[in-house]
Amino acid sequence: MKQKAKTVIITAALLLFALVCIYPLIYLLFYSLKTNDEIFFLNPFGFPEHPLFENYKTAVSAFNILGYYKNSIIVTLVSIAGVMVLAVPFAYGTTRMRWKLKNTAATYLMMGLFIPIQVIIIPLAILVRQLHMSNTYFALIIPYIAFNVSFASMIIATSFRSLPKEMEESAFIDGASVYRSFFQILMPLVKPAIATAVTFVFLGVWNEYTVASVFISNDAVKTLPVGLAAFTGEHSTEWGAMGACLVMASIPTIIIYAIFSEQVEKALTIGGAVKG
Amino acid sequence: MNKMLGNKKAICFFTLPTIIVFTVFVFYPILQTAYRSFFEWDGLNTAVFTGLANYKELFADDLFYESLKNGLIFAVILVTVQVGLATLLTFAMMNHKIRGKRFFKTAFFIPVVLSVTVVCQLWSAIYNPEFGLINNIFEALGISYRQDWLSNMNLAIFAVTFVNVWQYTGYQFAIIYAGAKAIPEDYLEAAKIDGASDWKVNTRIILPLLKDTYRMCVVFAITGGLNAFAHMNLLTKGGPGTSTYTLTYMTFRNAFTIGEFGYGCASAIILVLQCLLATVIINKIFSSREDNL
Repeated sequence: MKQKAKTVIITAALLLFALVCIYPLIYLLFYSLKTNDEIFFLNPFGFPEHPLFENYKTAVSAFNILGYYKNSIIVTLVSIAGVMVLAVPFAYGTTRMRWKLKNTAATYLMMGLFIPIQVIIIPLAILVRQLHMSNTYFALIIPYIAFNVSFASMIIATSFRSLPKEMEESAFIDGASVYRSFFQILMPLVKPAIATAVTFVFLGVWNEYTVASVFISNDAVKTLPVGLAAFTGEHSTEWGAMGACLVMASIPTIIIYAIFSEQVEKALTIGGAVKG
Repeated sequence: MNKMLGNKKAICFFTLPTIIVFTVFVFYPILQTAYRSFFEWDGLNTAVFTGLANYKELFADDLFYESLKNGLIFAVILVTVQVGLATLLTFAMMNHKIRGKRFFKTAFFIPVVLSVTVVCQLWSAIYNPEFGLINNIFEALGISYRQDWLSNMNLAIFAVTFVNVWQYTGYQFAIIYAGAKAIPEDYLEAAKIDGASDWKVNTRIILPLLKDTYRMCVVFAITGGLNAFAHMNLLTKGGPGTSTYTLTYMTFRNAFTIGEFGYGCASAIILVLQCLLATVIINKIFSSREDNL
């Protein structure tokens, strides 16, 4: 009996906390389908009485949400590709190849895990300006690649290191070059690590706000996090449409999380583990 | 084999691009920040070497102390509330009788995957003094406790901190829970057979075994708190007045708003030293505990 009461109390506490986590998001979803009157006075908490999909149309037509979406997609995809193009070969070169300074090179890159962006952002802003990249996609893509390459190559290196030596030996005996053995034999074997790294970079870049808020002022290249940030002042009167924008901006990460929840939790918590 | 894997050209092909990108866009800027902190510089014209003048100015600046204080408040609340709550949630989830664990885990983690902008915009709506959720709840309960949460000098920093707690407690929980799950069942079963209560198993067995996990969570919470920027910028713009400034906020203002890049570099350097110091202290505390065990 005592055990049962305890289970009930613990479950109730967990439910309460889950409610605190989720209800604000439900509130958001609901108000994205309501009129201002309904949000403010008539029905602030509950399900929308007459779901107003009009808000989503307004979000698309009145706000530049599709433009921000396009920018976010371009910046995220190019950053992911850039990180992988650099990180996968680097991880291979510092784990499978044989040379004196390979550990030094790996350690040098690992430094990137411990550097807060605040300490590089000022010179980086000037560098971006000198390279005439201000207010272009590259002002974001290049810093994103540089910040994420350390973590990605570390994850992938761990995976390369665990593969047996014989993998390459037999490839070389068959006459494969080192490049072919890398592209066709070794790389396919570290796919799970690459997937973890891609997930991590995707979430980090898609949601990145700080760098984007400093480097991008032109509306035409703003990504979703900076684009949406500007809405408060301008459109604070249209809550429904505003809410619709927030919901739309969150859909990709929510979907990725819904499909790959274990993978996402792993990718993000390994990221934290390393940074600590 | 050695000839193949020691091929200098291939090694360069694989590693040099990464080393160049990292050096130009991460390593070189660090050196620049340290170097430029000794200059009076607007980012455009010739910089003038002024020695420690920027640092002296910083230590005489009231805003610096206000920012420092807010960073500490942020960090302390994050450590105690976030890590504390995450621990209690882990204890609850380690109980075998609890059903629906996948649901709880997902519920706690969803805010983590959202962008900080979405979270902050949502919470400014929730905090809204006229129409916000919180004031509406008070109204519905018949309590006249309307607050302008984000515009109140004394409340604002706590309101901002709460949003971070809300968003990232699930993250700390995921780390601690993963650590607790990795403890072999035998350890916990053995203690239970000896008659230890759940609470004892949690505090005497799980907690000590998770020391390294906690070290990491605490470092994460403290450096995250000291570095805080996004939540302040999105929710309050550092205001009302300067009551939610942090050192990162000050650094960005120095460099990008008032155009004193040298001064901004000096505050960035202090920020990093502060985080390093915090990390060293935390590691000291955790390793001295080890000796006592």
